[in-house]
Amino acid sequence: MTLQWAPSPPDHVPADLIVDFDFFQTPEGLTDPVQIWHDLVRRGVPPIFYTPRNGGHWVFLKYSDIVEGYRNHEIFSTYQTPIPPIEPFPVMQPQGVDPPDHNIFRKLLAPMFTPLAVRRMTDGLQHRAETMIASFADKGGCDFIADYASRFPTGTFLDLFGLPEERLPEFLALSETFFRSTDPAVRAQNLTDIYAVLEVLFRDKERNPGSDIASTIVTARDENGNQHPWQDILNCGFLLFVAGLDTVTNTMAYVWRYLASAPEARAQFRERLDDPVAFQLAIEELMRINAVSNIFRRVTQDCEYKGIQFRRNDRVILSNTLANRDASVFQNPQAIDLDRQVNNHVTFGVGPHRCMGSHLAKREIMISLQEWLRQIPDFELAEDQDKGSIFGGSVMGFTSLKLRW
Amino acid sequence: MRIVANLQVCQGHARCEDLCPEVFSTDAVEGKVVIEQSEFAPELEDKVRMAVRNCPEGALRIAKGTKA
Ligand code: HEM
Ligand code: SF4
Repeated sequence: MTLQWAPSPPDHVPADLIVDFDFFQTPEGLTDPVQIWHDLVRRGVPPIFYTPRNGGHWVFLKYSDIVEGYRNHEIFSTYQTPIPPIEPFPVMQPQGVDPPDHNIFRKLLAPMFTPLAVRRMTDGLQHRAETMIASFADKGGCDFIADYASRFPTGTFLDLFGLPEERLPEFLALSETFFRSTDPAVRAQNLTDIYAVLEVLFRDKERNPGSDIASTIVTARDENGNQHPWQDILNCGFLLFVAGLDTVTNTMAYVWRYLASAPEARAQFRERLDDPVAFQLAIEELMRINAVSNIFRRVTQDCEYKGIQFRRNDRVILSNTLANRDASVFQNPQAIDLDRQVNNHVTFGVGPHRCMGSHLAKREIMISLQEWLRQIPDFELAEDQDKGSIFGGSVMGFTSLKLRW
Repeated sequence: MRIVANLQVCQGHARCEDLCPEVFSTDAVEGKVVIEQSEFAPELEDKVRMAVRNCPEGALRIAKGTKA
């Protein structure tokens, strides 16, 4: 990733609101990437500040402002938001479109991601978890990222899209490059490759539709009875590819990393194996504390918010980990309380773009954890775990997580 | 007491359904809240209140009395 300073901070930003903060940079020795955000709060920086890094952008620190950023789409748009800016950027359907047009693809996808639809996927997810964990349960250890957390959601994606399991290595390679490469030429080629795969996939599903999501998208008709624009179809496939892989992988990594060093929490989860409601409540707390995504918005018009001047096209980052540990909303916010009763976390966003995959993601994590604890009730971090294998950015996480048992 | 949902505001997080499935479910088309029984039994009150307080959109409200 090329890091760039804006030539100078724009003149509408007062000096006392400028903080030098680079959300891609994780200092030497840090073992948990979300801490770069919580350091800001500890340092007492202004609750809304501007950093000139990565093309320049605002950061909201408080739950209330972050929620406003999600909800007020008239000012904080999802259209063309990448930080640092890349223009033009594919208009991801439905994430990169503001209401009301956003609803066209949101409605189209919704029935496939409802709690009811996800409950129907349970057997498939259960089977995948069982077989994947069984393949290494007797080995005494694994690299959790490579052996499980990246493979599981990618396999789920193949299922959703009606693609055969044999293509797992190809899709793992595509997503690995997409999420981890910093070389601009490699990244450009990777985007071309992903779109080429989607093109073939959707053309095939157009001719031989099945009951999968790709078929539903490509055979759907708009209100005039026409197929949706081809580029929108590809961009929707692209969003589903990027939205549900790295997010799930790194959320899982956080959860397993925590449980590896928290025997009491493992015991609490094991006790709840036969009580799905209590298990679910505890998972919700792990979702709150392990919010891996930082979400971007673009200001649509010159305006004033909370007495601060914003200019059209200013970028804003809404960091879910900050909202979820705001002491004015959550009691004892830095503590993990598996029985937390009131837990309005924003790990999956709020408002019109609320994560459509949240029910699927939670079920993937819940089933994985239930099955893992049945097969591997106790585990810990391996001694050779590389402490430096973390990254920041729009999704934060780990490049490896070595466990042993 | 009865429970009222604002469907304009509900975004289908389904936290209510997870916490109190006796009273809340979600529909198959948009995944938004469906109130199974708007006038709930007193023994469910605690669970209903939990669901209301955990709705990230503030879409649920407990109203006094029965439907006019
Ligand atoms: C733990 C895993 C996940 C996290 C933390 C997460 C987080 C988020 C967040 C914060 C948003 C809001 C984006 C915004 O407001 O701009 C979002 C949107 C979205 N997510 Fe997820 N997500 C996860 C998993 C998934 C999965 C598994 C899928 C699907 C297979 C998915 C599909 C989507 C879609 C389609 C949107 C766009 C919704 C819209 O714009 O209306 N996500 N996600
Ligand atoms: S928790 Fe709130 S937003 Fe979610 S489904 Fe229930 S009412 Fe709707």
